Amino acid sequence: LPLSFSGDRGQLRRLVTRGAGLELFTAGFYRFWLATDIRRHLWSNTTVDGDAFEYTGRGKELLIGFLFALAILVPIYLGYFLVSVEVERYQKFASFPLLLSFYAFGQFAIYRARRYRLTRTIFRGVRFWMDGSAWSYASRATLWGLLMLLTLGLALPWREAALERYKLKHSYYGDVQGSFGGRGWDFFKHAWWLWLLAPFAVVIFPLAPFLYAEFKAVESRWWLSGIRFGSIRLESTLRRNALYGPYWKAVAWSAALFAAFALLFGQTFLAGIDGASHDPSLASGATANSIPSLIAAGLGYLTFILSLNVVVRVYLLRDVWARALASINVHGMELTASVSAKARLASALGEGFADGLDVAGF
Amino acid sequence: MGDGLVAYFDGTSSRRRLVTLAFKDRLEVDEDQNTLAVWSYADIRRVDGPPGTLRLSCLTEPALARLEVRDAKLAAELVSCCAQLDDDIPGRHGVGAIVGWSIVAVASIIAVIIYGVPLAADRLTPLVPQSLELRLGQLAEAQLKMMFDGRICKETAGQAAFMKVAAAVKQAAGLRDVTIRAAVFSSPIANAFALPGGTIYLFEGMLAKAENADEIAGVLAHEIGHLKFRHGIRNLIYGGGTSFLIGLLFGDITGSGALIFASRVLVTASYSREAEQDADTFAIDTMHRLGRSPRPMGELIFRATGEERDNGLSMLSTHPLSEDRRARMSSEDRRPSKPPLLTQAEWTLLKAICK
Repeated sequence: LPLSFSGDRGQLRRLVTRGAGLELFTAGFYRFWLATDIRRHLWSNTTVDGDAFEYTGRGKELLIGFLFALAILVPIYLGYFLVSVEVERYQKFASFPLLLSFYAFGQFAIYRARRYRLTRTIFRGVRFWMDGSAWSYASRATLWGLLMLLTLGLALPWREAALERYKLKHSYYGDVQGSFGGRGWDFFKHAWWLWLLAPFAVVIFPLAPFLYAEFKAVESRWWLSGIRFGSIRLESTLRRNALYGPYWKAVAWSAALFAAFALLFGQTFLAGIDGASHDPSLASGATANSIPSLIAAGLGYLTFILSLNVVVRVYLLRDVWARALASINVHGMELTASVSAKARLASALGEGFADGLDVAGF
Repeated sequence: MGDGLVAYFDGTSSRRRLVTLAFKDRLEVDEDQNTLAVWSYADIRRVDGPPGTLRLSCLTEPALARLEVRDAKLAAELVSCCAQLDDDIPGRHGVGAIVGWSIVAVASIIAVIIYGVPLAADRLTPLVPQSLELRLGQLAEAQLKMMFDGRICKETAGQAAFMKVAAAVKQAAGLRDVTIRAAVFSSPIANAFALPGGTIYLFEGMLAKAENADEIAGVLAHEIGHLKFRHGIRNLIYGGGTSFLIGLLFGDITGSGALIFASRVLVTASYSREAEQDADTFAIDTMHRLGRSPRPMGELIFRATGEERDNGLSMLSTHPLSEDRRARMSSEDRRPSKPPLLTQAEWTLLKAICK
């Protein structure tokens, strides 16, 4: 059975454009509601066997999760500062374990964020849910992260396989347990040459979007094909070049936006930099010192960033989502005609941490 | 009435049932001859669904029980029956409230930055233990030595002359609870630093621009002023607090780091200008107590920076304009009541301290 995505591109574009405008007026607080609206759009337009998914998360939950996460993170940051001051006295780089603990905390957030999203996902009146321990996940992810560091990234396929196995083993659709069938070796077989080429992409930068798009395509195909829930099995036929389009469009749009921004406000910024560096030969104090032009430049910069967000959400989120879904075949649906509901709701605290720590996970 | 086009999920199992709807005083959901559920119209709510499908839930039924109506005519009839259908649709009437509350939040964060954080910095600074301040000073020192490549100048005769000036200023400044160590640092930049914990570095570049010992004494007095008011710690608390709050405002919008940085520079610069004013006031008083004029210090600062007006963004600079500082110190000019701090010979030795 094919999975299909029926979302109207223009509708999502209008949604994220309006959301970006509201983010500007709310100093970013609208992000929680925008993220929710985007997910509602993506979920409710995703159909399998004639029935569509439903996302029941709400922006307010995300806001509350963020505030809770903040209340926990602030003392931790303060403590981190004091401890790192004390520790560095004895030995340089002694604060490395502290950084490591922050990494672990980020992984914890990723697990809890996934759990929040999954428990808000409904299919045929039955909820997905997750158990397992986010701390246990975080310690696995950190150890695998260290191994990846030691092997210069070569361990990535096995890391992803191990972590996905943990996440999906603890995921359920009603009373049906999930599992992950992907193996690290299969991923490695398809992606090792990208690892070899990566250093060249740093030098010849037009290569980078190709390589990254290809990597994402290989990774998504492998990941999607590994997902199982009971007898339900996903199979993806995503082609390696399937994501070139979205990535190149995103790059082109970003470049165009940057050029427009530089043309409009470049002068103010140069003047600002020269003012800070006290170089009289570059001085153009008259334009730079006027507050309106500074405010205009600040707003221009925000508009630039928010337009970039629109580009990313339309091409890299929506288009990639649509292409990945179109490649999926679902097997074994008929054997799971009746799944009983069994679920516990998870709080949005994890998403709050993810937001506060600036980590993102699928 | 579009039989078979309505799907029903009871919310306890994923089984999909094809049902017919009977519009009575309440909505009956029937499968064959059995009534599976009865929904009152007032409790029926619309939920997200794919295009072309009306998806409904009911407040009094299991939360995930769903009716899916694909037939447009039937859907229209249902919509006309359910008055409160769209009451729970998120974002329908919430956007105004979100914008309003966000503006309130932004206003309160700005108020905290302007009034709250400086107050907190003033109140918290005396509570920071001396040991932590010393520790921070050591960190800052290591950083300073990395940023400005150089060493501490120890040429004996020059060092003696420098200690003489420094001792006289320390005496006049009258700081008893802080141990102050002062040294000349071999960097060509015309500057001086007071590190938390009591270390003062005068850069060789500043010494090279100086023409007499009063100028150096004034600069040292200014730096001791920073130590007296513990400006290092105050700046740290203030800077940390404002960065955190400004980050809270824009932090989410990925990549707005530059904006956070810019607004932080703007805000902290004005705070720093106030601190510099205070240190200048302290330096002027100290010079008066030494029986020397503060005027040479103003001359040295002006010589070191040059004309600053109309030079870029005065809002961004961390110090008051040099011409203003010179004018202020000139206005405090008094005839020296005590002999010069160094003889001409000692001054020559001090100038050569890094040779």
